[in-house]
Amino acid sequence: MAEIIRNEPIASGIYRMTVSGAPLGRAGQFFMLRVPGALDPLLGRPISICEIDASAGTTTFVYQTIGRGTAQFATLLPSQQIEAQGPYGNGFSLKSGRAVLIGGGIGTAPMLQLAKELRASDPARKIDVYLGFREEAYLENEFAQYADSVTLNIGGYVVNDVDFSLDATYYACGPAPMLRAAAEAAAAANANLFVSLEKHMACGVGACLGCTCQTEHGRKRVCKDGPVFDYREVLHAI
Amino acid sequence: MQSNPLELTLCGILLKNPVIAASGTFGFGHEYAEIMDVSHLGGISGKGLTLNGSAGNPGMRVYETPSGMLNSIGLENPGVRHFVEHEAAYMRSLGPAVIANLGGHCEEDYLEGARLLNDADIDILELNISCPNVKAGGMAFGMLPDTAADITRKVKAVSRHPVMVKLSPNAPELVAVARACESAGADALSLVNTFLGMAIDVKRKRPVFENVYAGLSGPAILPIALRMVHQVAHAVKIPVVGMGGITSAEDALKFLMAGAVAVQVGTMTFADPRAMLDIIKGLADYCEREGLSNLQEIVGII
Repeated sequence: MAEIIRNEPIASGIYRMTVSGAPLGRAGQFFMLRVPGALDPLLGRPISICEIDASAGTTTFVYQTIGRGTAQFATLLPSQQIEAQGPYGNGFSLKSGRAVLIGGGIGTAPMLQLAKELRASDPARKIDVYLGFREEAYLENEFAQYADSVTLNIGGYVVNDVDFSLDATYYACGPAPMLRAAAEAAAAANANLFVSLEKHMACGVGACLGCTCQTEHGRKRVCKDGPVFDYREVLHAI
Repeated sequence: MQSNPLELTLCGILLKNPVIAASGTFGFGHEYAEIMDVSHLGGISGKGLTLNGSAGNPGMRVYETPSGMLNSIGLENPGVRHFVEHEAAYMRSLGPAVIANLGGHCEEDYLEGARLLNDADIDILELNISCPNVKAGGMAFGMLPDTAADITRKVKAVSRHPVMVKLSPNAPELVAVARACESAGADALSLVNTFLGMAIDVKRKRPVFENVYAGLSGPAILPIALRMVHQVAHAVKIPVVGMGGITSAEDALKFLMAGAVAVQVGTMTFADPRAMLDIIKGLADYCEREGLSNLQEIVGII
């Protein structure tokens, strides 16, 4: 059980919730968040880690109110309890050298903790961040402390802004069309790209098989074997 | 030594308590063993197996509904041979009673699957004639008394394991199906599998699921499942294992009072992996509170 420290809107339909008492994970992992004891909605919601403050023991989530579950989260107040099951999933592995991070919409959230870890693991590396939003940007200022550059794209195609010919590792999270475009561009440039996928899931631990996808290495579970994959493995599953 | 008030015998197998992980919600135990102590469970019914395995259904597979969920997984599984060679011994090592759930697309699939399972160290074969999400076979075997009895009799003839037939609530005459399975030699019955349901994506003017229909589970179905367990338990003499939307010890007690000797918990595990452990604790507390020397004393009191 975790305790909510703060939970407030940061953009239209976008909320930032910080909790204490949840085990600390790493970039790219997620928690199944659930209102304690709730039978409707019943299932937890997979929400990725946006930022970890290890010294304070807090985890921050940024979520979009899309359905009944996330709408319910938005009504929770500081000092209330929330079930935070996890951390689940494989998370991003930190490759050495230059990094390019691409986030689309709510997919920008896990990129923040990734930028933080990449910076902490190598203060000298170059980190370029590209963020795409349909109408309204958020989190862009938070990236500035870890990234060498932050490029915003509002209403366009963020992947078009990215140069895939660099000697760098590319990381992307966002809507499926964005990830497909990133995968195509990476394939054309023979770039190394890791994508974080999102699928509807019931359990988050690999048991329900609601989120499996066909990969180059057989069927894999987005929640348990992912959500982060080498794009070459999931070209036909994005 | 003090006796365990929760223990029971099901199909000749001693279970330390009547709480069993429902098929299709617990894999073969690996995933939940990482995050909870699964050794406390009474039993685990493994993911539904088909003879040659299956990749399952394309498209959307899980969709939440008020107090429940629809699923259209389609029996994604590694096949009976893989289970016999790689999973059965692991399940045995966990401690709870080992139940293998066997589905099929045709009679020969079921029989060959049952023959292969004779080589596995399992306690009970749960004969799944009630999966609503596979195109051929599956639920079709469980809809009518004659077909249900026929496949039960044939599987019983080849299996060395006790056979518990898992029934579909979608059968028009569920009690008749239950009686037919009993007459055909079933050692126990488990019910209910999921209710056939549907979801529509209004925005896209399309069904949510590629199969159009899908299986409904969770607290939303509990009152109907409870009624069906009550009807079936009072119509047959073989043990009945009840399930359908159980979330708490109180829910489990309802099924026991309705006539089930044990329960299975599925969807609630997705929401809260520790739910079954809390239910077991709650049942033990209930025995103490009520002064029961064994929980089975309340089975079928209603």
